Amino acid sequence: MSQPHSSRSGAIVLFVASLAGLAIAFYAYVTPLTGVTDTIGALVVILASVALAVMALTLTALKGRAARNVLRVLILLGLIGTGFAGLLLHQWWIGVAMLVGLIGLILDMVLTPNAPRSVHS
Amino acid sequence: MPTSGLAVQHRFKSATYRLGTAAALALFMTPAPLLAQDQPVTQNQPSAQNQPSTQNQQAKKYQPATQDNAAVQDVAKAEPIPLVPEKPTWDSFHGQLNAQKYSPLDQINADNVDALKKVWEIHTGDVSDGSGKLPPTVWSATPVFANDTLYIGTPFYRILALDPATGKEKWSFDTHSTLKALTQPALKNRGVSYWEAEHPVAGEPCQKIVYLGTMDAQLFAVDADTGEKCQGFADNGVLNVNQWNDTHDKWPLSVLQPPTVVGDHLILGWAGSDWTYEQAPPGTVFSINARTGKREWTFQALSDEMRKKSGTANVWTHMSADREHGLVYLPVSSPSPNYWGGNRTESAPLGTSTTALDVDTGKVVWSRQWVHHDVWDYDTNAAPTLMDITVDGKQIPALVQSTKQGFLFVVNRLTGEDVWPIEERPVPQGDGSVKGEEYADTQPFPTKPAPLLDQSEKPDIWGLADAVGLGECSALWDKLSYEGMYTPPTTKGEGALAYPDSAGGIQWGGVAFDPESQTAIVNTSHIVQYVKLYDRKAYENADRSTGNESGFAPQKGAPYGMRLLVARNWLGMPCWEPPFGELVAIDMHTGDVKWRRPVGASQQYGFFMPESWGSPTIGGPAVTAGGVVFIGASMDAKLRAYSLETGEELWSDQAQAPAVSNPAVYEYKGREYVAFVAGGNSILKEQVGDQVAVYALPE
Repeated sequence: MSQPHSSRSGAIVLFVASLAGLAIAFYAYVTPLTGVTDTIGALVVILASVALAVMALTLTALKGRAARNVLRVLILLGLIGTGFAGLLLHQWWIGVAMLVGLIGLILDMVLTPNAPRSVHS
Repeated sequence: MPTSGLAVQHRFKSATYRLGTAAALALFMTPAPLLAQDQPVTQNQPSAQNQPSTQNQQAKKYQPATQDNAAVQDVAKAEPIPLVPEKPTWDSFHGQLNAQKYSPLDQINADNVDALKKVWEIHTGDVSDGSGKLPPTVWSATPVFANDTLYIGTPFYRILALDPATGKEKWSFDTHSTLKALTQPALKNRGVSYWEAEHPVAGEPCQKIVYLGTMDAQLFAVDADTGEKCQGFADNGVLNVNQWNDTHDKWPLSVLQPPTVVGDHLILGWAGSDWTYEQAPPGTVFSINARTGKREWTFQALSDEMRKKSGTANVWTHMSADREHGLVYLPVSSPSPNYWGGNRTESAPLGTSTTALDVDTGKVVWSRQWVHHDVWDYDTNAAPTLMDITVDGKQIPALVQSTKQGFLFVVNRLTGEDVWPIEERPVPQGDGSVKGEEYADTQPFPTKPAPLLDQSEKPDIWGLADAVGLGECSALWDKLSYEGMYTPPTTKGEGALAYPDSAGGIQWGGVAFDPESQTAIVNTSHIVQYVKLYDRKAYENADRSTGNESGFAPQKGAPYGMRLLVARNWLGMPCWEPPFGELVAIDMHTGDVKWRRPVGASQQYGFFMPESWGSPTIGGPAVTAGGVVFIGASMDAKLRAYSLETGEELWSDQAQAPAVSNPAVYEYKGREYVAFVAGGNSILKEQVGDQVAVYALPE
């Protein structure tokens, strides 16, 4: 059974924030005179943003509680790392995007009902 | 091309290394200022000259070697020529012949510089990152403003004549020079020179001439109005400088630095190949007639005896001149081979010196040697800055010579005598591991201004770099010998620490000077390097797989090859504490520091480090009567303006690549412009550019 719409809103926010981070990093990578044009640092942030977006989508589909929690930890690390990298690239809006992503992650944790624990008798 | 295999190999290694470290960087927040690269390639090792002066070990013997003070007295009778031009002038590499890099313009000032806007930019197209068939480019040109035109030389050895207000091309001239790294490892260019006749003949061509040199030792003379070659100059507008390459001619006398124009004289030095041979072309400087290309005199920095067994001690950077006194000042580099001196133990008093010549005869008027028996490649690498200063109420015609060591030597420019005492102090004598050496007992140390780097003790290890490197820096430090400044190279351990070595200190941007407040402005790098000598057998067996980039060089013919590296951990982080570069203002009334601050930001893989860490710098400042210091020079490829009064950063903009030369400041049709060339230099960072960016206030 699919999740209620409200329970997916956190993941959607995270997904959108990841796409925003991707767009900003891509722009910085390809545009002359951003200071990080053609740099490996910008490329790493592009890849990290893509990974975050994929994880956000995966989050909406995962049902197991343990798996979701593992994924949330990975997403949290990704958000912190990508946000920090964005700041080091002087792409402040990437930092903002990752902050929004963090809000999405928190919403996901708050709004998603816990899956029922399996009962062993 | 012979270097392509190595280049590909290096690029592959470099790419894999970068990917790994970049990821680590993002996670660990550890910036890695890449500091002045593995290994420079400054240019050369020059020679000495026809004239004496002993080099030994006693302070007295190191006093200026004066020779021809009569010349000074003669020219002093001539019409006075103001040291600071009465109108805004930026018609040579350092702006003015005195190398002050000073503009009396004040339309742009400390109060409005934050409104500065880019009014035009061009990309010349003459750029290579070395990934294709061409070697990488290193572009350190300062635009020259003259004849209501902005003239620029490119690393593909073309001249561009541009409209100063719009950047629109008036004409261009292509030398069709070979684009091969015949001496230096990159296609290098430091721009063009400009000359005009004092009494031009109407209707005659070439009354104004632009000069450009090439890697293959040709000097081109082109009409400044039309871009046509000057047929009356040398061989139809081209002078083959290599015709005078008559001793150990293992490579051509590359003319990468444009000649210094003093009246009708073109004073011309040249560049060579570093660290390659024990015996190399010995340094020569030529005076050439600006109209005809005829050689007028030749200066040699090494004795005839030493020319046979050593070499270089050339002048590869710009020179400065005092026209009123008829003096041209030569920053002379070190003899060859750079890191072993067993073949040159006798006197070489003009090596690693500032030498003043009579510009009409080439005779030495005085000379001061800054490093005795140089075995560190401490080439004197910048034109000395000429200035009139008032010390203890007395006006002194002075000269400031900046050096790679981070010293500023201040002397009377007419006599070479100290302004503030320069002391001969005992220096380390090595560990005895290097055969054939006879180190100098003492070296000159300025008492004022204080050294820009504290070389008295082994630099402290940067805890962050050591932690990230899991103790790598500490382990390296334990294997490096250091007994203070001028610790000689060794064969033991990982070598001898040098703070700094050939990466500087201060590079060819030199010292800028505001004559109104008598403030000197200079940028400096703080870089720890270490050098190790390998006996020939050990050198052949050493792991040299990374080739030139790793800092190995053969010094062929000498008993020792060498390796020079920057002290970094596996991530590329410097092992020593920040800041890695500073901008310093010095009150030349007293020699005291007025202010100093980190300059720029280091950048690795695109990640900017905190500005409080500063950046190593190559390039230099320009200063204006508006109380503004303009400088690029940093790794982050930003162009900045600072307050001359306080050092506060007032403005910045992003460029395509580090601006590794001095900016140019000029006025055209009542508007003040600041021009930067963003060309990059692999010593600083592997980022190249072909951008000319020009700024002004909104109209």
